[in-house]
Amino acid sequence: MKRSSLLFAALCLTAVAISAPTARAAGTVKIGVLMPLTGNAAAAGQAAKAAIEVATDIVNNAHPELGNLPLAATAGLPNLGGAKIDVVFVDHQGNPSTAQQLATQLITQDKVNALLGAYQSSCTFTATPVAERYGIPFMVGDSAALNITTRGFKYVFRATPIATDYARTYMRFFADMKKQGKKIDSIAIVNENTDYGTSVGDAIEAEAKKDNMPVAIRIPYSASSTDVSAQVLQLKEKNPDVVIFISYTADSILYMKTMKSLDYKPQMILGDDSGFSDPSFIPAINDIAQGVMNRSAWAIGKPGSTTDEINQMYKAKTGRDLDDTSARNMQAFFALADAINRAGSTDPEKIRTALAATDLKPDQLMMGYQGIKYDSTGQNILAATYLIQLQGKQYQLVWPETAATAALQWPMRGAAQ
Amino acid sequence: MRQTFGLRAIALLLAAGLLLYPVVFTDPFYRDVGVTFLLAAISASAWNIVGGYAGQVSVGHSMFFGLGAYAPLLVYNLWGWPPIAGVPFGIALAISLALVIGMPTFRLTGHYFSMATLAVAELIRIFAGTWGLVGAAIGLQGPATGRAWWDLTFRSELPYYYIFLGVLALLLATTAIIENRRFGFYLRAIKASERAARNLGVPARRIKMMALALSAAFTSVAGSLYVVKTGFIDPDSGFGILVSVQMVIVAALGGAGTLLGPLVGALILVPLQTATNTWFGGSGSGLTYILYGGIIVLIARFEPGGLSELWPRLLPRLWKRAHAA
Repeated sequence: MKRSSLLFAALCLTAVAISAPTARAAGTVKIGVLMPLTGNAAAAGQAAKAAIEVATDIVNNAHPELGNLPLAATAGLPNLGGAKIDVVFVDHQGNPSTAQQLATQLITQDKVNALLGAYQSSCTFTATPVAERYGIPFMVGDSAALNITTRGFKYVFRATPIATDYARTYMRFFADMKKQGKKIDSIAIVNENTDYGTSVGDAIEAEAKKDNMPVAIRIPYSASSTDVSAQVLQLKEKNPDVVIFISYTADSILYMKTMKSLDYKPQMILGDDSGFSDPSFIPAINDIAQGVMNRSAWAIGKPGSTTDEINQMYKAKTGRDLDDTSARNMQAFFALADAINRAGSTDPEKIRTALAATDLKPDQLMMGYQGIKYDSTGQNILAATYLIQLQGKQYQLVWPETAATAALQWPMRGAAQ
Repeated sequence: MRQTFGLRAIALLLAAGLLLYPVVFTDPFYRDVGVTFLLAAISASAWNIVGGYAGQVSVGHSMFFGLGAYAPLLVYNLWGWPPIAGVPFGIALAISLALVIGMPTFRLTGHYFSMATLAVAELIRIFAGTWGLVGAAIGLQGPATGRAWWDLTFRSELPYYYIFLGVLALLLATTAIIENRRFGFYLRAIKASERAARNLGVPARRIKMMALALSAAFTSVAGSLYVVKTGFIDPDSGFGILVSVQMVIVAALGGAGTLLGPLVGALILVPLQTATNTWFGGSGSGLTYILYGGIIVLIARFEPGGLSELWPRLLPRLWKRAHAA
């Protein structure tokens, strides 16, 4: 009897200790981060979480080695008397309704000054109106769906490039290749059939039409497929010069392996980030898909450069190189922190005004954007991306040539020998 | 007699608690949890009519939920009507689908009926994910900021709470009425043994069909409520298997085939889900799911009939203890 009541008391205490809101230290700025930390997209959410933790360290502590990156050299936010940033992570599990509830929780319970998130476009769709209703700035980290920023919201900002930016980049790349005498008569689009794959696939198809680039075939498929030989045979029959994959991790690996076993190799394979950027992708296909291309606004850069330093910090924490998706979230975090510092206040209205006035130059960024400057909808108009190619055991930046660190290999080699 | 008295007292207490909850908890987050709870209770109670009372365990009720969720946003996106105007369409579609589905699948019983409903729901989910008119995989969005009150986009959670509570009251009243009518006895007879019920002259096919149609109509309303509150729907949050599974779990946890069972189930599951995610979600260690799953396993092991079976056993015991003291 006695033991059980003791146990009960202990349980109650633990519950209280866990649920008690942590007292806000004087002079901190709270940022709520919504990510899928469990569920289907947990790997991406966890990687983004680690990246944002590194970014918080960079802002909160003095890192003079990081060049022109705003807020790196100083400890905390100088315009707020050296205030530190306190990040509150929540897990929306990829569920739009949960994301909405957690946004309410972060704003009304945790009293955050700004929000960042939420990976899946569906979750960003439902979380952003909450921020808009409460007048709290929401920085979209990496969700790419076009209409997140076209709903007339005042408090939603997005630093990352979106589907149309990527589609335009691919077309510019193809035009450039044709100018160099490479043969690109037709392309194929293979996309997973949920919102990510569909929206990027649509954008590429639209841009291709504008550029008079024939799309030989478009193949939507389910990312949970366990057999894609039918799709690969379709590709083989149409034989396009370039195949663009908009895929998640397991499926992109499955495609590479199936293409190898069915002996099909186009001139070039171009992956649209996501699966192709997953840490498990390269080790899985290294031997059979040398030369596949991918997009990334993130490049590690030369040893000693700011980006290399950031990558070292991330690697020390996670044991992996920083990936594009997490890096875009990190950049969004820096852009948000910079705006809060310029606002010189935690007042959401002042932060919003500062965000709207953002004008970051390329040398102040860790990403390959041409800058960060928002239009009236909150979308960054200077967003851009690099193209990278798998050479050996890692991706090398190969396009545009002005930023390239290695020469492009065309056509792709396929099997490593 | 005493048992019904106890149940009635509990029901009254529950009703009073539900009415007063948002007055006591004024914080928007707690109110939001309350709204989530009501939605889970509505969906599970709607499922309960056919899944609990009639014992036809559907694992594809998300098909009705999804129809109810898509209809309001479809009329909004196509013609700019207020989303609420889509609710009757959702109900009509759900009832028609119930009749079409019921005809072939009610020839099946037990697991086969469950599998058939599951398959149909998946079919509709995949179809919705490729059909451009309903937004394909990207889904549909409602009005981000309401044009007027009839768009039902409130800043406060309070109006949602009482709208949802009203629907729940209507649904439970309907179920309570059915319970004591011939229809209700027919349903229980079918659940106990369909063959025996048939031999006694129960028109089993027709009764099951009616139960499914009624259940579908209310499930569709639950979907409409969800979408009016969330303002967004995609194939997974409308027709996804998790939507169906949650209805079954909530009802089974509380006690399928009882009036207040689904309510009790939601009362336990929703706060549990929210609390574990709030406390342990931020670390991303997956502890949320472990705790959540563990508790379901415990209940399934020790109280497989659902928690509402606990009351009649617990109440006399409490009564005795109070008098012994």
